[in-house]
Amino acid sequence: MAALLEIEGLCVAYGGLRALQDVSLTVAAGQFVTVVGPNGAGKSTLFKTISGVVRPTAGRIRFQGNDLLALSASKRAHLGIAHVPEGRQVFKTLTVRENLEMGAYPESGRTQWTRTLERIHTLFPVLAERATQLAGTLSGGEQQMVAIGRGLACAPKVLMLDEPSMGLAPAVADTIFERISQIHREDGVTILLVEQRAVEALELSDHGYVLETGHMVLDGPYETLLADDRVRRSYLGLTDA
Amino acid sequence: MDLEVLIENVLNALTAGITIGCIYGLMCIGLGLIFGIMKVVNFAQGELLMLGMFASLYLVTGGGVLAFLGPYVGPFVGAILAGPIVFAGGALLHKALIARVSGLRTAGTLDEGHFGQLIVTLGISLILQNGGLIVFGSTPLTVRTPLASSAFEIGPVYGDATVFLNKARLIACAVAIITALSLWLLLEYTRLGKALRAAADNPTAATYMGIDVERAYRIAFGLGSGITAIAGGLMATYLSFSPFIGLDYVIIMYSGVVLGGMGSILGAFWGGLTVGFVQQCSALVLPPQLQNAAIFVVFLLIVMLRPQGLFGRSAERA
Repeated sequence: MAALLEIEGLCVAYGGLRALQDVSLTVAAGQFVTVVGPNGAGKSTLFKTISGVVRPTAGRIRFQGNDLLALSASKRAHLGIAHVPEGRQVFKTLTVRENLEMGAYPESGRTQWTRTLERIHTLFPVLAERATQLAGTLSGGEQQMVAIGRGLACAPKVLMLDEPSMGLAPAVADTIFERISQIHREDGVTILLVEQRAVEALELSDHGYVLETGHMVLDGPYETLLADDRVRRSYLGLTDA
Repeated sequence: MDLEVLIENVLNALTAGITIGCIYGLMCIGLGLIFGIMKVVNFAQGELLMLGMFASLYLVTGGGVLAFLGPYVGPFVGAILAGPIVFAGGALLHKALIARVSGLRTAGTLDEGHFGQLIVTLGISLILQNGGLIVFGSTPLTVRTPLASSAFEIGPVYGDATVFLNKARLIACAVAIITALSLWLLLEYTRLGKALRAAADNPTAATYMGIDVERAYRIAFGLGSGITAIAGGLMATYLSFSPFIGLDYVIIMYSGVVLGGMGSILGAFWGGLTVGFVQQCSALVLPPQLQNAAIFVVFLLIVMLRPQGLFGRSAERA
């Protein structure tokens, strides 16, 4: 499999505080990769560094062989990297439809707009019903749907989802997970997911990474992670029988 | 007889209030746009108005390139063209100075760059005032059009009471409404307009969408500058101005923008309209020196009763 996204030896520091240290990660085209870890491990920082709003102090990020760090943040989206940020970050004063249109801001999104919009409405029918409503007036779950739809609107090569279940009722979170899995299976979109609900997330993935206080401590397929005692206790909430 | 005079005065104050109010509305939109999109409080907005007046003046009078249009059409074309000229100036100003104290560079800092913006925009304002004094001189000037001293007469509507519509102001008012409407359409329906609104709403998320936020802010600052300059060019047809005129109007702009609700473009227009209306109608009962005082009385009343402004609204989920 060709590597879509390759991260090597990434270090990020906020002032003197080291957020990421020597982090490496590879996502192959078509893969579903999950990063799990406790709060403050640097998961969101990892995503922000890929998107370009945070600059690393060392390391390399390559996307389809191109050096991402040489590009400004706004240019990276045009390569087909969609970032669905933590806390949803929808455009509250824009309508649902306008939010999706902004997701389709890159060239790739505009040329495939009719098709992607139809797909988004199939996945999240509520977004079609609420097309003219301001996104800020929606419920948390609906806003998450807007955020994911907005990410899909650029017909991305990789969809990065940062804690999509955060603050949602369990039933709503289940729906969101189901849709993410659908996007991966049916549309063939490469998924990079950061998630606290490690069991559900890892079950869906081809490969998982465990990030702790800025270090990648473990990685492997779901079965390997599941077999690891620390992972079972800390993230999966399973105790040895 | 007295009733006729009263009716005539009231009707003329109302029409003057509406026509001048529309031009004020356009002027306020410029300031409102810059604040609404960039969250920059621009103290140099009055000087952008002044630059619009001089840009129009030099385009259409003396040896100006638009002098051939004559005194009827020229001043209004000049006012409209002052827009793109000051747009370019505003965009350059943003690139050179404003960008350093605003936008992504100061996002998340303790004061969000407001202290820096205060000093920088106030400094720009002083430089433009005094630079204007050197370049343009201190003699009050005006973009002369014969339309400023002629009026459409409506009526007599009651006895001898007649409404006089100053032609220059009426055309200026129409141009102001059309400009404001065009800007609104741009912001509401075009890809650029939506991107500007997205950049205003959530700069980080806008970056994730591939929007170059710094460029969006530069365009917003240019647009805000150009819009106020057009209003300046329009006002230049019926009043005399010097490089210090910005001081008189920056206060009116701020009242208008706050009245309409900070950040609302449509609100800024209504705010400006309200200010112009109050100013003209207060002339009925107050001496001219107190016209601005009347604006502030109404301003304080509205702020007390509706702190979010006339058209301020919240998109947050309750």
